[in-house]
Amino acid sequence: MNVLEIRELTKKFGEFIAVDNMSLTVREGEIFGFLGANGAGKSTTINLIASLLRPSSGDIRILDRDIAKHSRFTKMNLGIVPQDLAIYKDMTAYENVSFFTGLYGLRGAELRERTEEALKFVGLEDKMKGYPKNFSGGMKRRLNIACAIAHRPKLIIMDEPTVGIDPHSRNYILNSVRKLNEMGCTIIYTSHYMEEVEEICSRLAIIDHGKIIAEGTKEQLVATITDVKEIRIELKKGSDNLLGILRGIPGVRNVDMKEQTIRIFCDLEVDNLGLILKALIDQDADIRSVEEQEPNLETVFLTLTGRTLRD
Amino acid sequence: MNILRIACKELLQDLRDRWTLIFMLAFPIVLMMILGFALGNAFESTQTIDKIHVLMKDTGENKALSEGFSVFSAEVSKSGILFEELKPGVDGKEEVRKGKYADYVELTGNGILLYSSNFIKLEHQILQGTLTAFAEKFKVGSTIAMLQPDQMEVLTSGSTDHNYIQETSLIPNRKPGAIDYYALAMTAVVALWGAMSAGQLITTEIRQGTAYRLVSAPINKGEIFAGKVLGNLVVNMLCVVIIIFFSKYAFGAYWGDHLSVVILLLLSQVIMAVSLGLAVSYIFQEAASRAILLIITQLGAVFGGAYFPFEEAGIEMTRLLKFIVGLSPVHWTNSALTGIVYRNEIWEAWPVFTVNIGLAAVMLTIAALIMRRKEGL
Ligand SMILES: Nc1ncnc2c1ncn2[C@@H]1O[C@H](COP(=O)(O)OP(=O)(O)OP(=O)(O)O)[C@@H](O)[C@H]1O
Ligand SMILES: [Mg+2]
Repeated sequence: MNVLEIRELTKKFGEFIAVDNMSLTVREGEIFGFLGANGAGKSTTINLIASLLRPSSGDIRILDRDIAKHSRFTKMNLGIVPQDLAIYKDMTAYENVSFFTGLYGLRGAELRERTEEALKFVGLEDKMKGYPKNFSGGMKRRLNIACAIAHRPKLIIMDEPTVGIDPHSRNYILNSVRKLNEMGCTIIYTSHYMEEVEEICSRLAIIDHGKIIAEGTKEQLVATITDVKEIRIELKKGSDNLLGILRGIPGVRNVDMKEQTIRIFCDLEVDNLGLILKALIDQDADIRSVEEQEPNLETVFLTLTGRTLRD
Repeated sequence: MNILRIACKELLQDLRDRWTLIFMLAFPIVLMMILGFALGNAFESTQTIDKIHVLMKDTGENKALSEGFSVFSAEVSKSGILFEELKPGVDGKEEVRKGKYADYVELTGNGILLYSSNFIKLEHQILQGTLTAFAEKFKVGSTIAMLQPDQMEVLTSGSTDHNYIQETSLIPNRKPGAIDYYALAMTAVVALWGAMSAGQLITTEIRQGTAYRLVSAPINKGEIFAGKVLGNLVVNMLCVVIIIFFSKYAFGAYWGDHLSVVILLLLSQVIMAVSLGLAVSYIFQEAASRAILLIITQLGAVFGGAYFPFEEAGIEMTRLLKFIVGLSPVHWTNSALTGIVYRNEIWEAWPVFTVNIGLAAVMLTIAALIMRRKEGL
């Protein structure tokens, strides 16, 4: 069964086309990844699914029903974790979850059970009476998730649920996503972190300028698309002027640096490792390690968009 | 059901927002206190007072008092307080009622009785102070009890077997003293403040991102709208009622005999104010709507006479000023309240009530129409 079906969906903001004739199908039981740079149109697509925005054209079906015609049914089966926190700071964790879940028609003992269950699920059982203003970033993110799952939706959409949080909360959230999936939920997951998507998604779509430019399993995408390899070089000390020099070397498509690690994306066929190392040595760079990466989603992304995700 | 759920959530949040609540209550109460007690007459102090003519009658029941008084009246005539003997066959109270004199004094076996048509006027305050001083000096060792216009509360009391100065408002339709005046006016202002909190109703949900969850839940926007408005109405009305009872019991402000009509009238103003706030917040951008509502409520308060009553302050009511004053919701409510409380003219509530509810209906319709067309909340 198709849990989500998007057909020729377009959303314009004035002249600007944020979602461009997008079609997509997500099947039951999948963890489906949305990958795209800033402004690609991921959140806009999700907002359309959540009925927060109205499509300029096209339609969206959840569990085989049109969301405009069967809004009650489709909303009952949808849980959304918005990109920006959506919780009341002046209400306790428990009150937040209970209030939102109550809007789905749950009452009394059942509401209480589901609320506690959801808070336990995200690891906030000790903080039920706590106020979100006293929570850490990770705890707020987890509460944000609890508010979206307590009514047990069939489809859960998470819009960058791990932005700006500590590794502990992040692992917790990733594990929760897997667990929810095992419990039978279909999940759509967007992230900037390539590793996260690689780790948990069974299938994914790469979105750029409001269009889906590739779709499939990670293996399919890597096997069919990439013509780029990634070379990682770790230095004792990074320096920004190296980047410009490296970009000038034939076959280099893109370079970025995070702390002491330089990532160099090169054409698969061009053999330029010698030139790269020579350039670095000429600049008195102190090389600690050199490593050629297996083709991965990052290289797929670069092949398709000419950019790295961090750009 | 969802409406109630949202209304309760709204109520819970507002009651938890202690500082806003304290401001909503403390500000009008403190102002009422300052204006009503301390500065009650300050705005009149710029007036130059010429002579104070006081009508006076001696019943001759207390010889000593009569003698003392004639010395006293000769003395104070030098400083401009002129006592004029009541002509036989004339009713002193009637003279005051007709407005020929502002004050009328009677020397009786029970002491000095002072009748006055206006308790806010500076002339009256001077006269009253002078008389009190005389009574104290004249009856050494005895204490003076002074009655408030409503003859209920004793201000300075000791042995209360004799009241040397009694004040009785003559006008059958009562006239308010300063604190009474400000109690009504400030409460009308608080009712108008509903506009400011209502202006924030939708934007706070949007700012916190929670509008997202409300809209993606299986309820319709009308329910969200109705629930939020209902919750806000209850909170604002609660403030109004608290102010009424606080001024009544803590300050002894007079609220008359038709409290339910008074509350109903104020409710209509709260409904109007909340609708106004909502409509403005839908029509304008966030910052602009906040500014507009602040201006409306502040000007409404000033021209509604919440800080000083124009006529009592001796400000000339030009056509323009009258027009501006007439635009203030605080003014409508305030004058209707005065009618109900002091003249028992209950009917005065209904035109204002109707206007308030009518305006509210128009503005809620505007807000609802914009909301339906808008994406999200
Ligand atoms: N309400 C709006 N009005 C006008 N333009 C908008 C609006 N919402 C989004 N956009 C534009 O649409 C484009 C897509 O935005 P969107 O938020 O969907 O990107 P995204 O893929 O979620 O990015 P990010 O990774 O930064 O969250 C952006 O260029 C954005 O500026
Ligand atoms: Mg986004």
